Amino acid sequence: MWKYVKKLEYPVNIQKKDLNMAKALMAQYGGPDGELAASLRYINQRYNMPDGRGKALLTDIGTEELAHIEIIAAMVHQLMKGASIEELKQNGLTAQFVEHDHALFPVDAAMVPFTATYIETSGDWDADLVSDMAAEKRAKVTYENLMKMTNDPDVLAPLSFLRQREVVHYQRFKELREFYKQKYQKKDNQ
Amino acid sequence: MLNENKILFDPYQGFIRGNMFESIFDQYGNIYSFKPINEQAKLLTYLDMLEFACIDIGLYLDIYNDDNKKIEYYNELNKEKKRILDEYESKFGPIELCSDYLNRSPWSWDNDPWPWEV
Ligand SMILES: [Fe+2]
Repeated sequence: MWKYVKKLEYPVNIQKKDLNMAKALMAQYGGPDGELAASLRYINQRYNMPDGRGKALLTDIGTEELAHIEIIAAMVHQLMKGASIEELKQNGLTAQFVEHDHALFPVDAAMVPFTATYIETSGDWDADLVSDMAAEKRAKVTYENLMKMTNDPDVLAPLSFLRQREVVHYQRFKELREFYKQKYQKKDNQ
Repeated sequence: MLNENKILFDPYQGFIRGNMFESIFDQYGNIYSFKPINEQAKLLTYLDMLEFACIDIGLYLDIYNDDNKKIEYYNELNKEKKRILDEYESKFGPIELCSDYLNRSPWSWDNDPWPWEV
C-alpha cells in the first residue's frame, strides 16, 4: 500500500506565470520519459526482479517517482495559475483550454496523450534494467533542455533537483545490474 | 562489489544538490540554497532535508545491504526526522494520516494549504 505525506519532496514556490514553460514541462508529466511513465514502469517491473534487492530498489525508486509527478504537477499548476484565455491562445495552449481548461492532463509537450506502451515491461530483469538506465538518461537530458528554457530560479531549483535524481537513479540501476550480472553469471551479450 | 559511495554530503548540502553521495554528484548549473521566510518554512526545510537523506541513503542500502556504518547513520537520521516531524505537526498541523495530531475536532486533515499551493 502507499501512504500520502502532505508535503512535496522538494518545495515548489513559483511566483511568475510562464505558459511556454508550463507547456514544455508537460514532457515530464505525460511524456514517454516523464515521471508518470517512470513510476508505473518501475512499480510494474518489480514483480520480475530475481531477488529482494531489485524488488526493494524498484519499489523505492517507483515510489520516489510518484513524488516527482507531484512536483511537476505543482510546477505546471503554478505556472498556469490565473492565465487568461487570450494568454493560453498565444502560447499554444488552445487545445489544452478547450479540452481541459486549466486542469492537468497527462500529455507530453506536444499534447500527445500518455500511453501504456511507455511502461516498457519485458519480464526479463536484464532487459528491464537496461531500459530503465536508458530512461533515466533520457529524462536527465530532458531536464537539461528544460533548464535551458528559463532564467527563473523558482523554476530552475526544482528542475535541478529532479535532474540530479535521474543521475542517482541511473547509478543505482547500473549497480543493481552489475550485481545481478555477477550473481547470475550473465554476460552482456546473453 | 566495488563500492564508490563512501563519502556523503551533510543532509542539507545533499538535499540542495538532490544527491547525498559526493562521488556520483553531477553538477549542472547552479546549486540553489534555501532562504526560509518564517519559522514554518525553516522547520519544513529541516524536515525535507532529513526525509531526503533517508530516501537517498535508503536507495543505496537496497543494493549495499551490509554497509553497517550507513545503516547506523540511516537510523540516526530517521530518529531525528521523527522528532522534527512531531515538532512540525504539533505547531502547524498533521501532514501524515497516521499523525497523533489528528485527535482534535474538527478534523484537520482537510486544512489548507495543500502542497502545490504557494
Ligand atoms: Fe528517475
